[in-house]
Amino acid sequence: MINVKNVSKHFKNETAIDYNDITFEDGKTYMLLGASGCGKSTLLNMIAGILSPESGSIEINGEDITKKSQKEKDLFRIKKIGYIFQDFKLIPEMTVADNINILKLENVDTSAMDEILEKLGILSKKNKKIKHLSGGEKQRVAIARAIVKKPEIILADEPTGNLNFAIGEAVIKELTEISRGKTLIAVTHDERLAKYFDYTIDMNEVTGGRRDV
Amino acid sequence: MFKFALKNMMIKKVKIILIVLSVVISASVAILAYNISQQVDDGLKTTTAKYTMIIGPAGSSTQLAMNTMFFTDKPVGTIPYEVYEDIKNDPDVAVAIPFTMGDSYNSAKIVGTTNEFLNDKSVDEGRMFENGVAFEAVVGAEVAEKYGISIGDKLVTSHGIGEGGHSHGDSSSLTVVGILDKTNTNYDNVIFTPVETVWHTHSNSDEEHSEEDEHEHEHGEICAVLVNLSNMGKFTYIQNKYQNADYINEDGDEISLSAISTSEVMRDILENVDMSSHIVLILCVIILLMNIFIISIITLLNMYDSKKEIALMRLIGVGMRKINLLYIIQNSIVGFISTVLAFGVSRICLIAMKEYISSMGIVLNAGVVYTFEWVIMAAVFIISIIPTVICTFSMSKKDGIEE
Repeated sequence: MINVKNVSKHFKNETAIDYNDITFEDGKTYMLLGASGCGKSTLLNMIAGILSPESGSIEINGEDITKKSQKEKDLFRIKKIGYIFQDFKLIPEMTVADNINILKLENVDTSAMDEILEKLGILSKKNKKIKHLSGGEKQRVAIARAIVKKPEIILADEPTGNLNFAIGEAVIKELTEISRGKTLIAVTHDERLAKYFDYTIDMNEVTGGRRDV
Repeated sequence: MFKFALKNMMIKKVKIILIVLSVVISASVAILAYNISQQVDDGLKTTTAKYTMIIGPAGSSTQLAMNTMFFTDKPVGTIPYEVYEDIKNDPDVAVAIPFTMGDSYNSAKIVGTTNEFLNDKSVDEGRMFENGVAFEAVVGAEVAEKYGISIGDKLVTSHGIGEGGHSHGDSSSLTVVGILDKTNTNYDNVIFTPVETVWHTHSNSDEEHSEEDEHEHEHGEICAVLVNLSNMGKFTYIQNKYQNADYINEDGDEISLSAISTSEVMRDILENVDMSSHIVLILCVIILLMNIFIISIITLLNMYDSKKEIALMRLIGVGMRKINLLYIIQNSIVGFISTVLAFGVSRICLIAMKEYISSMGIVLNAGVVYTFEWVIMAAVFIISIIPTVICTFSMSKKDGIEE
């Protein structure tokens, strides 16, 4: 379970986002909707330990991630969290397999790679370089890298942002299916995808709407 | 980690090849310059102490010393054999060895002398030539290897030093009776024969030497006498005695002699060589400093290019410690490959330059590695890693995550 309590995040341009308390239950899928700059991605980054709030706490299974050192946050992220980035965060000159095997640097078991690539329909692309893949294929590789380590929590920051609706819908369908039993929090602008999630949260209500971030 | 480092290097292969090339060029120049200067220095020093005095025609003392001790340069001229006989019979002289030079076999110089000249050398095959037996020859190890010479071979010699001289013909060919053990000195590049060979060659020879021939061998003439005194206290006395003596050559002309101290001439030469060695050492340091500068710039650019890659790894949770290790491994591989290649290139250059340097009387040995060369290689290796350590350390402080 993820409990976000009294969290406030300040930025260098002196804007600040204050979050109302939110709870994400284990094994449920959440879609975060809201205007650009309302703090959706910031929330995911704070849950992942990439950003730290100025105040408040983010408890994950009873542990406050905000109290951890950077090293502990890194370890937590690599072990417990699968993060899917909007711009994929893949190394274009490396193959699909190499991009997933980066996790081995932190001794993460990637033996489920083939099985997951098969499920996502890109096993045949395993030894292809990322730069030779389509946008949809790249997003699937990013999903594969996020879930290969069997994380407890999957965070997806606009996973369909770079894809057309048809491909984006297919990706979300696959993502929600493959995340079954895990906590999935996905940021998206497209309300048409809400049917694939257990809950939809309007972040405008949580943070009070758009900030000039 | 190692496997991933290699894969990551492969995607930057052009940059890595450029880094390796720049390091190899600068490091091999530093290694090569130091090695050659040391081998030349060592070669000169090991040759110094064998004879105390050299008596030859009046002229350049350096040329006389270089010609008789390193078999390089042209002989100053000739002196009558009678000079040798007088010196040999002088009660103050312990050792007197005649020396003549002026003919060659391909590029190998031929020295006419007595077998006492080689009494500190041993034969690998065959035997020493016998004094007074013309046309017997003992060949230096490098000459034998270079021209595939075996015992019993006949060597057709030419007049003059170096290739392109007039052939003496089959009637004056030398018979190889021995091949010297390799000494890694100038002796390896020379063919030794009794002085009588030189005289008979020129009396047998039916070729007509042109007037431009720089050096003529006349029967009974030699180029110099190498001397060890029985009493060093009489050095100046002997020196004056022969410098003031009057000798007439076979043309009937009066000639003057020069009696030089080998230690004095060698001291002058070594002072110059030592100065050159210091210059080389300074150059090596300058090259290494340039190396530090080049490697630092390239590494900084490389690390700047890698910022996105590092941020990506940080975002998915790879710790800075592992990232630092990854880049240190990569640069260690680059440093190691560059160092090994630089060493290899320096040895190839040494082999390639062997012939050129041997014409100056010094034999380069590609197998000789000086302690300072290891220091240069260690420095190059460390220099390859230090900028990466600094870069990754400064990145760790910033956490590496792009906010």
